Amino acid sequence: MTTRKVAIYGKGGIGKSTTTQNTAAALSYFHGKHVFIHGCDPKADSTRLILGGKPQETVMDTLRIHGAEKVTLDKVMKKGFGDIRCVESGGPEPGVGCAGRGVITAIDLMEENDAYTEDLDFIFFDVLGDVVCGGFAMPIRDGKAQEVYIVASGEMMAIYAANNICKGLVKYAKQSGVRLGGIICNSRNVDGEKEFLEEFTAAIGTKMIHFVPRDNIVQKAEFNKKTVTEFDAKQNQANEYRELGRKIIENEDFVIPRPLSMDQLEAMVVKYGMLN
Amino acid sequence: MTCEVKAKDRTGTINPIFTCQPAGAQYASIGIKDCIGIVHGGQGCVMFVRLLISQHLKENFEIASSSVHEDGAVFGALDRVETAVDVLLSRYPHVKVVPIITTCSTEVIGDDVDGLITKLEEGLLAEKFADREVHLLPIHSPSFVGSMVSGYDVAVRDFVKKFAKKGAPNGKINLITGWVNPGDVKELKHLLKEMDIDATVLFEIESFDSPILPDGSAVSHGATTIEDLQATGSASHTFALNRYEGAKAAQLLEKKFKIPAVIGPTPIGIRNTDSLLKQLSQATGKPIPTSLVKERGIALDAITDVAHMFLADKKVAIFGNPDLVIGLAEFCLDLEMKPTLLLLGDDNAGYVNDPRIKALQENVDYPMEIVTNADFWDLEDRIKNKGLELDLILGHSKGRFVSIDYNIPMLRVGFPTYDRAGLFRNPVVGYSGATWLAEQMANALFSDMEVKKNKEWLLNVW
Repeated sequence: MTTRKVAIYGKGGIGKSTTTQNTAAALSYFHGKHVFIHGCDPKADSTRLILGGKPQETVMDTLRIHGAEKVTLDKVMKKGFGDIRCVESGGPEPGVGCAGRGVITAIDLMEENDAYTEDLDFIFFDVLGDVVCGGFAMPIRDGKAQEVYIVASGEMMAIYAANNICKGLVKYAKQSGVRLGGIICNSRNVDGEKEFLEEFTAAIGTKMIHFVPRDNIVQKAEFNKKTVTEFDAKQNQANEYRELGRKIIENEDFVIPRPLSMDQLEAMVVKYGMLN
Repeated sequence: MTCEVKAKDRTGTINPIFTCQPAGAQYASIGIKDCIGIVHGGQGCVMFVRLLISQHLKENFEIASSSVHEDGAVFGALDRVETAVDVLLSRYPHVKVVPIITTCSTEVIGDDVDGLITKLEEGLLAEKFADREVHLLPIHSPSFVGSMVSGYDVAVRDFVKKFAKKGAPNGKINLITGWVNPGDVKELKHLLKEMDIDATVLFEIESFDSPILPDGSAVSHGATTIEDLQATGSASHTFALNRYEGAKAAQLLEKKFKIPAVIGPTPIGIRNTDSLLKQLSQATGKPIPTSLVKERGIALDAITDVAHMFLADKKVAIFGNPDLVIGLAEFCLDLEMKPTLLLLGDDNAGYVNDPRIKALQENVDYPMEIVTNADFWDLEDRIKNKGLELDLILGHSKGRFVSIDYNIPMLRVGFPTYDRAGLFRNPVVGYSGATWLAEQMANALFSDMEVKKNKEWLLNVW
């Protein structure tokens, strides 16, 4: 079986890293998959639940302090829960430098070091917020991630961001073959959330691959620096991530999305009464 | 005695010895027939590099620019490449190979050149140029990585990666010359011919010593063809003469096609030329012919005339491309000279592990300094403020002011050598190169003796 390279996008704060790590943990624990998480967020918080809060030296820190030739796998790659391999790109302090370039450089360095080995079933690129610049599109370039999942909720701004990310995807779909696998709803318990997401996903030509209900156990596990699966695999929420993992494994619907115009999007938002 | 390898201990650079990666990629690209590169970046990334190459070779040649402006930096500049490819192919019906060479700005903004090439292959090339053979390839050469030397290395690898195909063994070797002059390529091909070895030479740039002919053609082109590049995958061996300019391609061929790679020695001087010929002989089973033994003898005779009497104990500083500098230092040692300062213009981490540098460190019996990431201030400061005494400088024309200001004779060698006539025609490799180097070093010292009235009478009776 070939490695599936998956990029996770979504509005800032929507729960991309939480969802990625919980899904990765479930894929490993329940489905026996070999998983790699490459965090592409300058904040470098994409792997702490898998690594139990252990600080991980980022690729960019290693590059800055020791130089490119010192960036070796044993230095920047750590194994955590379920033997999940973790790398954090890292990046500059807020307000300086170019975080997008950091993503490009980090992925290039990992490829040079043969980090993405053939025995892997899944590689997840957990990417910061929007596809704000060329650098943050690196994970969906030629030969890299072939499928994208967008984390969203029933909140207007999350939908707006998801729609924007789809615009970026359309651009790269032609040149790199990347496709949208679906939208993951990370529920915020807002009214009509499921219906709104279903209408939105249908309108852009994809599906809501899973509705992850809100459950405080996620936060509780996070306080303990763990994914839900590691914290307590018997919890219902662990089962939700198991289900999401299964759906991703079995997913065969990969599409080029048809992002909505602002007018269409506003009309849909009004319909679900989110503007108030 | 000590021979230390150390990095420049200042931040900032005062008069750099090297320029940046796209320059190397561009120098490689002009060696290919029917090839015009598009440099994806601001216009200066082509203009200054073209000027430099053109000053060096005193020839015209073609490289294009995507000419990125402010709007491209904000909105992404791939549309400029699309237009550039279209215009280039429309205007030049013979062009078959178009490398897209990236630069700082387009790498930072993250323009996806690889993806664009896929798009152009399925769109523009299939629709508008369906009846043409056109190959597009990306060469990633941001200037903030490496130097012009690594840019050359990366470009050779990318050309080979794009074209090399496994076919029936063709009985040829691959010879990757590294960043050399037309005269060097001519000499290397001469050695191969005398050895009766058939080779694919990357790159055939002899044609940049161009004639003026009645047809009025004024533009020079390289002569390595697409077929040559494809054939690199069917060779018996790859000889990459320069460790830092071509070894990446040799390693790729070894990994992908199991073609054994022989890396180095840079055949500068008698010793290194001997090693190369022996290795060629071992790899191909062909004997070294008496014609080359005779050529070697002529070189030895020329060297004997000048070495002990004039060159011995002369203190030399050498700067430039690492393989050239190391090769020249080795040759100088064989001539009883004392290379005391070697300046390498970038900070490749591989230098400290280079077996040739290690050998220098083990064997040298007087103080020698090797400075990496060096600039011209590293040379000037030592002369001006730290009492470094030199009899001779070896390096390219960018160092001419150190030579002029401090009255130290300098033999122009390397790239670029625009302030002396015709140097690109003379080889520094092979037995001819050894002869030329020894004699030119001696002549530089002779002129200096005359200018400074320093025992110049000696030459009356030589």
